Amino acid sequence: MSIAAASNILEDLASRFGEGAVTPEPTLDSVPTFWTPKENVLEVLEFLKTGVEGPYRMLYDLTAIDERTRRKRQDQPGSDFTVVYHLLSFDRNEDLRIKVALKGESPSIPSATGVWSSANWYERELWDMFGVRADGHPNLRRILMPQSWEGHPLRKDHPARRTEMERYTLPLEKEVREETALRFVPREWGIYRTEGNGTEFMFLNMGPHHPGTHGIFRIILELDGEEIVNAFPDIGYHHRGAEKMGERQTWHTYIPYTDRIDYLAGPLNNFPYVLAVERLAGIEVPERARVARVMFAELFRIASHLVWYGTFAQDLGQLTPVFLTFNDRERAYSIIEAVSGFRMHPAWFRIGGVQSDLPKGWEKLVKDFIEYLPPRLMEYEKLVMDNAIVKARTRGIGTLTLDQAIDWGVTGPNLRACGIEWDFRKKRPYSGYDRFEFDIPTAGEGDSYARALVRVEEMRQSLRIIEQCLDNMPSGPYKSDHPLATPPRKERTMRDMETLIAILSVLGPVVPAGEAAVGTEAAKGNNTYYLVSDGDASSYRTRIRTPSFPHLQALPLMCKGFEIADHIAIMGSIDFVMGDVDR
Amino acid sequence: MRLNTNETDRPAGGEAPPRNFLITKLEDMVAWGRKNSLWPLNFGLSCCYIEMAASITSRHDIARFGSEVLRSSPREADLMIVAGTVFVKVAPMVKRVYEQMMAPKWVISMGSCANSGGMYDIYSVVQGVDSILPVDVYVPGCPPRPEALTEGLILLQKRIAAERKPLTWITGEAEARGKELPVMREQKGWRKEATTLREPDEA
Ligand code: SF4
Repeated sequence: MSIAAASNILEDLASRFGEGAVTPEPTLDSVPTFWTPKENVLEVLEFLKTGVEGPYRMLYDLTAIDERTRRKRQDQPGSDFTVVYHLLSFDRNEDLRIKVALKGESPSIPSATGVWSSANWYERELWDMFGVRADGHPNLRRILMPQSWEGHPLRKDHPARRTEMERYTLPLEKEVREETALRFVPREWGIYRTEGNGTEFMFLNMGPHHPGTHGIFRIILELDGEEIVNAFPDIGYHHRGAEKMGERQTWHTYIPYTDRIDYLAGPLNNFPYVLAVERLAGIEVPERARVARVMFAELFRIASHLVWYGTFAQDLGQLTPVFLTFNDRERAYSIIEAVSGFRMHPAWFRIGGVQSDLPKGWEKLVKDFIEYLPPRLMEYEKLVMDNAIVKARTRGIGTLTLDQAIDWGVTGPNLRACGIEWDFRKKRPYSGYDRFEFDIPTAGEGDSYARALVRVEEMRQSLRIIEQCLDNMPSGPYKSDHPLATPPRKERTMRDMETLIAILSVLGPVVPAGEAAVGTEAAKGNNTYYLVSDGDASSYRTRIRTPSFPHLQALPLMCKGFEIADHIAIMGSIDFVMGDVDR
Repeated sequence: MRLNTNETDRPAGGEAPPRNFLITKLEDMVAWGRKNSLWPLNFGLSCCYIEMAASITSRHDIARFGSEVLRSSPREADLMIVAGTVFVKVAPMVKRVYEQMMAPKWVISMGSCANSGGMYDIYSVVQGVDSILPVDVYVPGCPPRPEALTEGLILLQKRIAAERKPLTWITGEAEARGKELPVMREQKGWRKEATTLREPDEA
């Protein structure tokens, strides 16, 4: 990220809105960050999206910080709540943060839904979690919590623990009340349309318990016969309070929680988290750990894609592939288990390195796997991708254009299927990805088949990366010597007192105050952890920008005009995980 | 167990009892049948469900224990495996699905989240599915390995084999429970006494 470009955008903004309309703030991750008053914000966003050279076309994330108990932010404008817009420019390969300071107990901002379609759900989340209203939003209702919820969970005065709250019980009246509240009332979703020509639409409820929804997800389809006129996803059934949890766990003990965000690919969530903490703490990770992390992450990318492959085929009516791909996944797990001692949620990454050195004999396991998988993939290609029915059911189905994808915040394989080569591993190499040889598969059609094709090829590319890790695994330590690396290396604790104290302290490291966001290429798309430290043993605010959240938001767009059976195919092709949506 | 009531198989003379005859009480036979054909509800809440799926697919193959007929409709299933976190928002639905299952029915709580809330003592998570429904077997782990789920299933099967539920709710309480299951921690106490642990340094 070039400083020149940053100052450049500051000049652009200043010349358009006048000196003093935007105030820059230095951050630890060197993402250009500007404060702008609430009155200006829509114009500023609009200008950044369309008016500058190398426009910021994607609203990458939108969130808030409850600043009321934060101590170390003297260099920032005072506020009770800060709303943070995170924009992304593909042309510049650069991010930009716009912050808006809000005061008072019931703050509000103007809605950005007119600028980006994807702002819709983010603003609902803002309302739900922080009680920050988006004025002019078409349907501002809770998104993650039940409609009957009281309070806004991410406010500092909201209880975090369930055990601090009333014990959950479910007497009959309450059950009936909650069930009735789930009834779909079009009016509540902002649909007032009454067709003049006598057409009546039917609303079909699907989920939250439905085998085709890949987890607890509900969607209401508005149907004209078999045809989907519109769709209304209802999420939040899987909300596990992961962001609030970050404010309570220490920096170190939060790692296992990140595993469980996209639970099919734990280490791909550990990755941005530990990288962000390391950025805040200024830790350099030794070579061996960097390569080992890459290898582990790619293994999980394959494991995750294998689950997707099988279930996608199953959604289309093929029952065999899922048994085959789960078997292959078990083989990947035998390596993962040998390395980390765990199958699904290894929590093997550590701040400053990894938990343990690779075990003796790991090379053979990895070698066997990279020899084993390619012929299997060939077989599945014949079984699934070449199958005439699969093609007929996915080609031209659920098509997204590149512009739509960007407008809706789509990333990862789903974006690459629209014809853009956008992969953080290449564009913003982290952990040494720039030294690996691999290709970024893309496809042009943007339909369900294209999305599937991209993922299939990605598995092969991941195998290439793993092979290079195998051939070039550096020797040396697997954990940094930095005093904040957690837990410190055993040898060090024997030599110096400071580290011994650190290992004995239950709190773990105290990370210097500041803010940093690091994004990585996870299995489903771009995953970013935005961490705010107030110089404590745990984070002040942990924001997890997950790829599946915007992907699901774009689902109605993809299935309009198609039939119910296509809808199942489309859902299968997006590859989402509810943990990654609701967190 | 094979029943043969075919007249023509009777030896001539009609005196000696037929060799392929099995005498049992009807309720014993029903218990045996129930034990070996548990149909789980295809019902996943969270990460644990992926391990449940792993138990069903090739390597772990739950079909070996007669429990592979996954049903997506609660009315056709008699075993609910609560695989994952019970969220406040989803709890009424879990209860509803449970109520839609026909008796006799059983519940396995799979994983720490369903057992007790696990590592999620957080505002949006119910601290254990037993706050809203009766649980027969708790399987620990986060997530439990497929082997652990299989063990849980076998424990449940043992219990069902020993349990005598009335054949229909007309003749008695359908939810009648068998005797309490043993606490496995006590039975597996020997594990705590292990002194040599496998070296993690070798694959
Ligand atoms: S017990 Fe662990 S693996 Fe299972 S749902 Fe809970 S967090 Fe996920």
